[in-house]
Amino acid sequence: MIKRAAERFFKWYCHPDYYEDIKGDLNELYQRQLKQGLTSKAERTFAIEVLMLFRPSIIRPFHWWDINNSLEMIQNYLKIGLRNLRKHPFYSMIHILGLALGLAAFLFIHHYRIFEKSYDDFHYQPNQLVRLTTDDVVNGKIQTRDAMSFAPSGKALQDELPEVIGYTTTVKTFRMIFKKEEQPVEETEIIAVDSSFLNLFRYEILEGDKKTMLLEPNTIVLTESMAKKYFGDAKPVGQTIEVLGAFNRPFRVTGLMADIPKNTHYSFNALVSLKTFQQRIENDGWNGYNYYTYLLLNEQTSLSELQSKMPALSRKLMGEDNRLEFNLQPVRDIHLYSDFTFEPQIHGSAKAVSFLGIISLFILLIAWVNYINLSTARAMERAKEVGLRKIVGAQKRQLISQFLTEAVIINFLGAALALSIVYFLLPYFHSLIGKTIIPNLWTHTDFLKNLGLFFLIGTLITGIYPAILLSSFRPIGVLKGNFGRSKNGTLLRKSLVIIQFTASLVLIAATTIVYQQIRFMTNKDLGINTDQVIGFQNPASNRDELFVSQYQSFTEELQKLSGVKSVAGISNLPGGGSSDISSSSGGIKIIGKTDRVETTVYINSMTDQMKDALQLELTHGRNFDREIAGDSNAIIVNESLLSMLNIQDPSTVVNEFIQFGRDPDNDRFQIVGILKDYNRSTLKSKIEPTVFFHREVPRNTLVKLNSENMTSSIASVQSTWNKFFPDSPFAYSFLDQRFEKLYMEDRRFGLIFFNFSLLAIFVASIGLFGLSSYLAIQRTKEVGVRKVLGASVNNIVLLFFRDFLWLILIAILIGIPLIYLGMNDWLNTYAYRINFPWGVLILAIIAIIFIAFVTVSYQTWKLARLNPAKTVRYE
Amino acid sequence: MKKYPLGEFEEVVLLTVGVLYNDAYGVRIKDELEKRLERRISVGALQSALRRMESKGYLESKFGEKTNERGGKRKRYFFITSYGKKALESSRDVRNNLWNDIPNIALDLD
Repeated sequence: MIKRAAERFFKWYCHPDYYEDIKGDLNELYQRQLKQGLTSKAERTFAIEVLMLFRPSIIRPFHWWDINNSLEMIQNYLKIGLRNLRKHPFYSMIHILGLALGLAAFLFIHHYRIFEKSYDDFHYQPNQLVRLTTDDVVNGKIQTRDAMSFAPSGKALQDELPEVIGYTTTVKTFRMIFKKEEQPVEETEIIAVDSSFLNLFRYEILEGDKKTMLLEPNTIVLTESMAKKYFGDAKPVGQTIEVLGAFNRPFRVTGLMADIPKNTHYSFNALVSLKTFQQRIENDGWNGYNYYTYLLLNEQTSLSELQSKMPALSRKLMGEDNRLEFNLQPVRDIHLYSDFTFEPQIHGSAKAVSFLGIISLFILLIAWVNYINLSTARAMERAKEVGLRKIVGAQKRQLISQFLTEAVIINFLGAALALSIVYFLLPYFHSLIGKTIIPNLWTHTDFLKNLGLFFLIGTLITGIYPAILLSSFRPIGVLKGNFGRSKNGTLLRKSLVIIQFTASLVLIAATTIVYQQIRFMTNKDLGINTDQVIGFQNPASNRDELFVSQYQSFTEELQKLSGVKSVAGISNLPGGGSSDISSSSGGIKIIGKTDRVETTVYINSMTDQMKDALQLELTHGRNFDREIAGDSNAIIVNESLLSMLNIQDPSTVVNEFIQFGRDPDNDRFQIVGILKDYNRSTLKSKIEPTVFFHREVPRNTLVKLNSENMTSSIASVQSTWNKFFPDSPFAYSFLDQRFEKLYMEDRRFGLIFFNFSLLAIFVASIGLFGLSSYLAIQRTKEVGVRKVLGASVNNIVLLFFRDFLWLILIAILIGIPLIYLGMNDWLNTYAYRINFPWGVLILAIIAIIFIAFVTVSYQTWKLARLNPAKTVRYE
Repeated sequence: MKKYPLGEFEEVVLLTVGVLYNDAYGVRIKDELEKRLERRISVGALQSALRRMESKGYLESKFGEKTNERGGKRKRYFFITSYGKKALESSRDVRNNLWNDIPNIALDLD
């Protein structure tokens, strides 16, 4: 087998003068090994020798006249192919447009998926890098999974486990205020890292020593764009940056690095040395897990094996009776798969990415199916041509080449059109996904390679079946005119049409459901009134008496402004992300009412005006009151907390005391009021069981404005701010916009989904349109005859449509379970979800029947309206 | 310009053809070379060296007998031409001169 192929190959390329004796030599060597009984080895050696002989001094000289003959045939194929293209501009357009749209959409999404999957794959040992996270486990069941960990845990794990060969501890600062030309500027993308961070994560260092530049406190390493922002074209290394707020001291720039790649789960634009936060780290110790810790594992380590050591190790390091457990998470999985709380930034969703992958494949398949369908349907037209060609001597192989050439032409034009579509729509696509994945199309070799690859695959897939079908007609039968319709072809065509209908139905329904869920979330009553409320962060400070009195006069002055309705303070603004709140896991009990419950409780604090500003509702008890001195010890709890503690009647706990932790000497706080639940964050997560403390100066200020003259009101708020806190930037946001922002990713996903679904349905429709109009023309005569016999236009249209209706019905039967299972699953990822909207399904079915009816019947309708005298005479 | 262009491998092949006088055809040369050089040589490497030297004029060839084990294909025997002999001599002279010019002390390494 191998030998025969090798012999053939050798004969083909070998110089004829050399062929005889070399072949003889090869035979002799072959026979020699055969005699030693090495049959398969002999064959292999033979083949290898043939391959090794393929070199310039052995191969036959290349003359263009050797291929001249086939060249002429190819020229002829091209000519015929182009003629055919021009002869049927309508069908050619459908083919080319469909293929181009399919290819463009597929490649867009393909590269989007590649990008999403490439997160953090550029580090030194990306597959050995894991993040140490913390699980809260009660009775073997995981309650919450937190992306953060304790500051000393990285070192402790390295000491305990030989598998851990490196670690780095980092903390996200969330907010630092830099001074730039005497103006305060807020920077949110700054992380503090220890000196081993850059040994684990690969980032390009332009200046400075990787080993030492993050060793000392108050040092900072800037990325290029940050350096440009603060120092312009001057050399940044060696200079200092003033950091205002709680720091209030200069930071020395010790290094410069290139801007970091976009595909990382932990992005930053400057690194501060972790030593800067030494005091805080020592205070936190094993008490607060507010750090991101990464471990580098030994190459041979199996993650699951290492993970199984974690429960025991957690007890050893954090005490027998603690509920927290270490968890290891591969860094490469964080972007797409992590659903932990306290993530450093918004991450992607593997589900959304694979959803899109499926759609893009749908679009491409639909486009290919269109081509196959139409070409086989038009086989009859070409049948006579094939018959005649065969009679004048064409071989089957040549006919296949001819039809393949046509497929090449059409696919090539499709690919070229796809390239220009991508070129023109690239900016739009980038804004749709919110990321730049292809900065420059012409230098993006992977994209161009893939375009070429899928052009080839597409040509083969779409070309081969029609080519074989068309070239297999028997000349005599065909020329006599009785070739009959191929049963197989019709069956294939019908199943392909069913697939198209199913895909369209699924996409219509799914898109609508995604939209409904998003609309539900943005319109749902949150339990608070966020209209005309702005929020901003207070100046960072150590909250000394001076600041407190300053802040109080600031709020009093605000209150006096004419556009301001009320002013209040809260530590965590409504509309924040899941990590934008503090929590306590030390256990909680209502003294005398409940036992200690080991669970995560969320901590917020506010001033007494908050009730008015947000129109909060208290179901029992009273609001805080700044006039009551004892209220520094008062708390308000929300209903979720009570239901978590299994309190049936909330009125019974008013004025009772709550205690955190296990120590009976811990502070007691008196419950003065029960707050009706409101959604602080996205509707994806449940309302957090929350305890509100009373504080005069929480971290944020809320201002409720009058609905008139909002712009000027905001301006006067700002000028008041500037009067009191000239060193801090004033950055406000509307609360309802904060909530909208939480759904940005969902909205984006919905929009991408919508666009590509529309595209898929469009491609399917034009294919169907082409196919049905072709089939209608085939039955022109029948239309005429029916009309003569008295059928009305409607009769005929419905009669023809009935053929397709069956296919639609089958598609609906396949589609409904797909939609139900897929979308119900998706909706379940939301804590507050709509019920499965059966109405949408019915609408989608009606829509699909309508689309099919319009596309299928247009041509029939046109034919049926003609004078039967014309149609009967057809052919 | 080199007067007698002759690569190192070509030179060994050429010498072997001389050694095998009158019996120098493909398989035989390959066996002999593999025995002397103690390494495997592919038919391709050998044949391309032979053909190159033939076109340079160092070798000439003629067809020999057919045998069964060759599948009815004839052997091609190679002979050194006088031009080929000159090329070998010139290459040997170069080497001899080099050997002579090495100071004794340079090789006195034991």
